[in-house]
Amino acid sequence: MLGVFICQCGTNISATVDTGAVAAAAAGMRGVAHAESIQYTCSDPGQAAIGAAVREKRLDRIVIAACSPRMHEATFRRALERAGLNPYMMEMVNIREQCSWIHADTGEATMKAVDLVRKAVARIRAHVPLQGGKTAAVRRALVIGGGIAGIRAALDISAAGIPVTLVEKSPSIGGNMARLDKTFPTLDCSSCILTPLMVEIKQHDHIELMTNAEVDDVRGLVGDFQIDIRRRSTCVDEEKCTGCMICQEKCPAPAPDDFNAGLCQSKAISVAFPQAVPLVASLRKQYCRRFNGGKCRLCQKLCPAGAVDYGQEDEVVSRSFGAVVAATGYGHYDWTGSYPTFGKGLYPDVITSAQYERLLSASGPTGGLIRRPSDGAEPRQVAFVSCVGSRDESAGRPQCCSVGCMYTAKQAILTKEHIPDSQSYIFYIDMRAGGKNYEEFVRRAQTRYGAIFIRGRVGRIFPRRGKLVVMGTDTLAGDQVEIEADLVVLAAGLTAAPGAGELARKLNIACDETGFMAEEHPKLRPVEAAAAGVFLAGACQGPKDIPATVAQAGAAAAKVIGLLSRGELETSPMVSAVNPSRCAGCFKCRDVCPFGAIDKDRLADGLVTARVIESLCRGCGICNAACPPGAISLNGYTDKQLLAELVEVLR
Amino acid sequence: MIRFPESINAGAALLAEIEKRSGQRLSACYQCGRCTSTCVAAFAFDYPPHRLMRLLQVGMVREVLASRAAQLCLDCMTCSMRCPMKLDVAGVIETAKAVADEAGLKDSERDLRLFRRGFLNNVRRHGRLHEAGLFFWFNLRTNNLFNDAGLLPPMLRKKNFHFVPPRIRHRRQVRRLFQQINGRQG
Repeated sequence: MLGVFICQCGTNISATVDTGAVAAAAAGMRGVAHAESIQYTCSDPGQAAIGAAVREKRLDRIVIAACSPRMHEATFRRALERAGLNPYMMEMVNIREQCSWIHADTGEATMKAVDLVRKAVARIRAHVPLQGGKTAAVRRALVIGGGIAGIRAALDISAAGIPVTLVEKSPSIGGNMARLDKTFPTLDCSSCILTPLMVEIKQHDHIELMTNAEVDDVRGLVGDFQIDIRRRSTCVDEEKCTGCMICQEKCPAPAPDDFNAGLCQSKAISVAFPQAVPLVASLRKQYCRRFNGGKCRLCQKLCPAGAVDYGQEDEVVSRSFGAVVAATGYGHYDWTGSYPTFGKGLYPDVITSAQYERLLSASGPTGGLIRRPSDGAEPRQVAFVSCVGSRDESAGRPQCCSVGCMYTAKQAILTKEHIPDSQSYIFYIDMRAGGKNYEEFVRRAQTRYGAIFIRGRVGRIFPRRGKLVVMGTDTLAGDQVEIEADLVVLAAGLTAAPGAGELARKLNIACDETGFMAEEHPKLRPVEAAAAGVFLAGACQGPKDIPATVAQAGAAAAKVIGLLSRGELETSPMVSAVNPSRCAGCFKCRDVCPFGAIDKDRLADGLVTARVIESLCRGCGICNAACPPGAISLNGYTDKQLLAELVEVLR
Repeated sequence: MIRFPESINAGAALLAEIEKRSGQRLSACYQCGRCTSTCVAAFAFDYPPHRLMRLLQVGMVREVLASRAAQLCLDCMTCSMRCPMKLDVAGVIETAKAVADEAGLKDSERDLRLFRRGFLNNVRRHGRLHEAGLFFWFNLRTNNLFNDAGLLPPMLRKKNFHFVPPRIRHRRQVRRLFQQINGRQG
C-alpha cells in the first residue's frame, strides 16, 4: 500500500506547481492508496499527517514530493520510523530545486512534477526494508589549524574526555589572533586572552600538539579516518630545544619575519615569536647558509642543548580519527596587483592593517611605538582606507570582509591612544557594525577619539614632499577630498588561507566561489562540511571576527562530541551486496572499487566469491556496473528499481 | 525634495534609454565615490560624477541632462577605469550628453554645445580641423567676433592659421567614419 505526499512548501512549490493536481494524478497511479497535498510536510502537522495516513490506510511505503533530499531526507526517515515503518521505505522526489524554482510555466512544471512522482511510485514498489549497521567510532578527533578556532575546538572536545590531535602548519600555534594588538569592541589585549589558551593546549593531557605539520593524505570515512600527517623537518629536536634563542641571536642568515608581517627581518633559525607555543626554534632551509652551499654550522656549535640536527628528515605519522575539524583560518588579500593607483606596494608608508597591528603591538618590531617604515618618524596624520580588495568587482572580489570596519575603528582609537596629538581619517563606504556593542564602539571612535569618518572611496595615493597624498571623495559633502598623510593603512580583505583548497580536496569537502570552505546549509548545518564527520570552525568557512569564530569552534566541538560520545556510528544500509549464487569470482568488482571494500569469501563448497566489507563500502555503485553476471547490486538502487524508474521516464 | 514614486516614474523612460544606449545598469552603483575621487574636471562640475549617477538612480534624469557636468565631462575615462563595479561612468555621462542634445535641452552650456557641433562638422567636412573656419563660424554664431582674437598674431606668426581649408588624402574615409558612428548611435 503506497502513500504519496505532495508538499506545497508554503508558496515555494505551490506558486509554480499545482500541487492539488499532482496529488490527484498520483491518486490514480497503480498501487497508490493515499495521496494528499500538505502545506509544510516537514512541519509537525505535516509529519503527523503522514503518521495518520500510515495508520488509517495501512500504508507500507511512502513517496514524498518536496525539496531536495539533501534538505529533509533525514527528517522524513525519522517521521517514517515514528509511524512504525522502516525508514528506508521512503522515496523523495525533488519538485522544488529541480522543478518549481527553475520553471516559470505552471502547466509545464505541474506536468514535470507528475512525471517525477510517477517515476518514484514505480521505483518504490521494488523497495525492500533495509537495516543500517553499527560500526565502532575511533574516539579521537583531529583539529587542523592552531589559531583561535582550532585552539577553542581542541579544548572543548578534550573537555569531554575525547583525545585530540592538533595539527598546525607553522612553528607555533596562535594563528592570526596572536599577531593582533587589541581586540574590538572591548579593547582587551589579544595576547592576554590567547596566550593562556595556547599554554593550556600544550599542557593538556588529552591534546597532542603537532606543529610544522600538515595533513598529507586522508583515507576512510566518518568514524574511522586514517590520516597521514607530515611533520616537516625543522632541523631542531623539539624535545631538547629550550627556546633560549642563542641560535637566533648568532645566526648570520636573514630571513623574512612572518610573524611581524614582513615589517622586519628574522633569522634562518628562529623562534616564531617570544610567546610561541611550543617555544622551540625551527630552521628554514631555504634561507640557511649551510643548506645553500655554505659551511656555516654556527647554530649547531652554539646550541647549549645540542638540539640542532641538520640531518633531520620529514616524518609521516599515521593516525586514526573519528572526526575532523578544519580550522585553517584566513589569509590576507594581496592588494598590490589590483591597485596600481595605490603604488603597488612601492611606497613604504602605505602599509596593510595587519602590518599596522604589529606596529601597535608591544611585542612588535617597534616595541609598540608607532613609527612609519620609511624614516622611523612618528606619524601625525594617519589615513585609513577601507575595502581594499573588498566590495570591488573590478578586482574580482565582490564580498565584504566583515571585519574591516571594526578593526579600522579600533586602529584609529589605538592611534589616538599612542599619539594623542595625531589625527585619523577613515575612508569608508558603509560602516558595518552589526555585532553586540559594535555600533557604540564605532561611535566612540568618532566622538571620544576624534577620528574623522569620510564616506567615500580613495582613488589614488602618491608621495609628495615626504608625505602621502590621498585623493578620495566625501560623497556626503559631495566633493573631492585630498589629505596629506604621514602614514596610510589599507584595510585589505580576507581570503581563504593559503592551501585551504588543497586541504579541502583531501578531506573531500567543497569550497565556495570565494575559496572558503562550504558549510552544508547556512542554517540547518552551519558547521558541517560536505563530507560526514568533517566540521568547520572559524574563518576557514568565511570571514568572521573573533567572537563568531569562538562560538563556531564551540559548535563544531559539540558536533564532534555528539558524534563520538556514543562510541559507535550507524552506517548507511545503502551499500553493495553480493548474490553468491550468481558470482563467478572474477573480482572485476575488486579492481574497480575505489575504497577497497571488496574481499574474497570462500563458500562451504570451496567456491571463491566476492564479499562486501560493509564498513568500507560507500555505496558508489561502480561495482554494480562492472559486474558481468550482475551478481553484485547496491541496496536501494537495485537494477529492478532503476529499470522500473527508467521505464516510467521513457514512457 | 525627491518624491517617490513620482520621481522614479517621471524619469523612467529617459533612464531606460540611457541604460539601453550605454549598456550600463545604473542600479549597480553603490555610491562609493571613487569616480569622483580622481576626476580631473570635477572642480568645474555642478554635480560630481557620483552624484550624477545617484540622480539617475532616483529618476532625476532631467537634472543630469541639463547639468553643466554632462557638458563639461572630458571623456578621459578615468572614472570608468576606477569604478569597482566596472560601470562605464564616462559612457553614461556621454550618453546623457547625446540624449540631452536630441531632447533639445538648450538651457545649459549653449556655447559649448555649439562649439562641439561646429568642431565635429568642421572635421567631417575637411577631414581634419580647419581652425580659421571654426574660428569665424563660432564667433559669428555667438555674436562675438573678436573672441580669442588675441591668439591670431602668434598663430599667424607660427603659420598655424590657414585661410584655405586643408586638403587631406582620405577625406572620404573620415566622412565614412562619421557615418558609421552616427549609424551606431541611431
